[in-house]
Amino acid sequence: MRILLIEDDAMIGDGLKAGLGQLGFVVDWFRHGKDGLAALSSAPYDAVVLDLGLPGMDGMAVLAAWRRAGRSEPVLVLTARDALPERLKGLDAGADDYLVKPFALAEVAARLRALIRRRHGQSGPLFSHGGVSFDPVARRATLSGEPLELTARELSLLELLLASKGRVLPRELIEEKLYGWGQELDSNAVEVHVHHLRKKLGSAFIKTVRGVGYTLGES
Amino acid sequence: MAVPSLRGRLIRMIMLVVPLVWLVATGLSGYAAWHEVNELYDGQQQLFAQQLLNSAPTITHPAAPYEHGEEGEVDGMALAVWDAGGQLLLSDGEGLILNPHPGLSGFLTLDTGDKRWRVFYLSNRAYSVAVAQELEERWEVVRGLIAAQWLPWLVLVPVLLLLLWRGVALGLRPLERVRDELQHHPLDAPTPLSREVPAELRPLIDGMNGLIARVAEMLARERRFTADAAHELRTPLAALRVQAEVAQLSTETAAREHALAQLTLGVDRATRLIDQLLALSRLDPLQTPANAALLHWQAIAERALAEVRHTAAGRAITVELRQTCPYAEVLPLRGDDTLVGLLLRNLLDNAVRYSPDGATVTLELAADHVAVRDTGPGIAPEWLERVRERFFRPPGQNQPGSGLGLSIVERVAELHGLALQLENRTEGGLIARLVRA
Repeated sequence: MRILLIEDDAMIGDGLKAGLGQLGFVVDWFRHGKDGLAALSSAPYDAVVLDLGLPGMDGMAVLAAWRRAGRSEPVLVLTARDALPERLKGLDAGADDYLVKPFALAEVAARLRALIRRRHGQSGPLFSHGGVSFDPVARRATLSGEPLELTARELSLLELLLASKGRVLPRELIEEKLYGWGQELDSNAVEVHVHHLRKKLGSAFIKTVRGVGYTLGES
Repeated sequence: MAVPSLRGRLIRMIMLVVPLVWLVATGLSGYAAWHEVNELYDGQQQLFAQQLLNSAPTITHPAAPYEHGEEGEVDGMALAVWDAGGQLLLSDGEGLILNPHPGLSGFLTLDTGDKRWRVFYLSNRAYSVAVAQELEERWEVVRGLIAAQWLPWLVLVPVLLLLLWRGVALGLRPLERVRDELQHHPLDAPTPLSREVPAELRPLIDGMNGLIARVAEMLARERRFTADAAHELRTPLAALRVQAEVAQLSTETAAREHALAQLTLGVDRATRLIDQLLALSRLDPLQTPANAALLHWQAIAERALAEVRHTAAGRAITVELRQTCPYAEVLPLRGDDTLVGLLLRNLLDNAVRYSPDGATVTLELAADHVAVRDTGPGIAPEWLERVRERFFRPPGQNQPGSGLGLSIVERVAELHGLALQLENRTEGGLIARLVRA
């Protein structure tokens, strides 16, 4: 899951990027409203974490600009202001959820997962397909009830495929979802991960759509 | 000491003044009455004497001589008629022996030891008459007149006092209303008290309204400050919490150590914010520096430099002192060394914080100003004014800060009658200058 983080505070930004990274998200962090505003169009983000007290351009203005431009990515707003009018203003401006500082990292992650899930029209917290089930909170996958040994990237790829059931995912999109800005990747990184997943889950689990990308196989 | 009571004072005044006025009025009216009564009775005496003289020829037999000790009618009147030879023809009265004064016409006062008489003599060629009246008679009338005047006074004074008592209570009722209004007046509402009071109370009400406005303003400011402070504390707390969680989650040593280092920095940052908040909250209510004495610039500068050099050394920043006059002549000012030290430290701290590694920060002491120069990026012109606002930090900062440093500087400067000027230097960097306001 690729997340756009816009947070001006160095320490919170650093912590969220590292922490959400540990929890299985790919995070791109921008410190200024203006940079963040443009960044949303530059990669296929699953959700946005937006700090309201941004210098240069207020978080609310960024949010309003996105919504005016028709962007529908779920936005989780972070703010130090907890008064009701402030919260209502945030939600009215198009925020999908709201967290008041200081927040728990785990809660940020949980709310992001919920936002993303809702966006994909899925209400249950577990993903499953053809005997494979994935728990995005614990970041554990099982095959017919047996725990699977998967690397972080393999888990992310599995999560992505399960969340996009019925759609064909282009290779570039998978690349962008799995890797944040400035992360090294080989040209055939996606193929390598797909190869490993197939080895562990069975070759029919992932279907190749030639010239386009990948999708889940028949269950 | 007894609480002075308006009502008591008024009543005492009335009790003192009313008898005094009363006395004077009585004296004056007594005097006037005495005159009137004299005039009246004198006229009567003259008239009576004339009639007596006219009817003297009808007296046929000589009168019996006076019988001493015999009490006649007590009417306070006496009369006597003589013929030209001084022979008493008629006498009546009170045991008074009137001597004939043939040929005399006019008034005499006769003193018989226990009584005083007013006697009118009137004579013609054949007869002479005397009509006398006891003066006591006249006094009686005057006393009666005065008594008649006193009576209404005696009745009216208690009534007057009672009315006054009620009147004062009535007059003071607006005060009770003001008291009620004050009792229920919310401290933070700047709504003034009603000015629908007697004119005498207006100055009091106006004074209180001024106080109410100031208290409400101060409370609003305090509340805003507390709210701002609480919100500002949320950010470092959020940073601490996130970094702590990252440290717990991290499986790699490097990541954990990074998070722990961030955690330490975060604690420092929160500590600094709290220090700054405390400094500001202590500065806020001051009207003048608490301990005002002639500033010791040497001691202040040396201490501030020593403290900031410690941090500067870590980044190879040189902090130098430039003096254009002896210490004794530097911006002569009465003030608080500690506060001015805090001011200098904040300015130097900012300068070091935003200077590139290896740069030079200069503290300049001159006769007409004190300044801190740095060679950092300066402040974008659009933020130059706003940086003084509490908690405001220009965008694009990598340095942690509370956004309170310049507010503290400005507040201390204000207390000392100084103005803070912020300027970007043409050669790069910022100059923060303190001059007399």
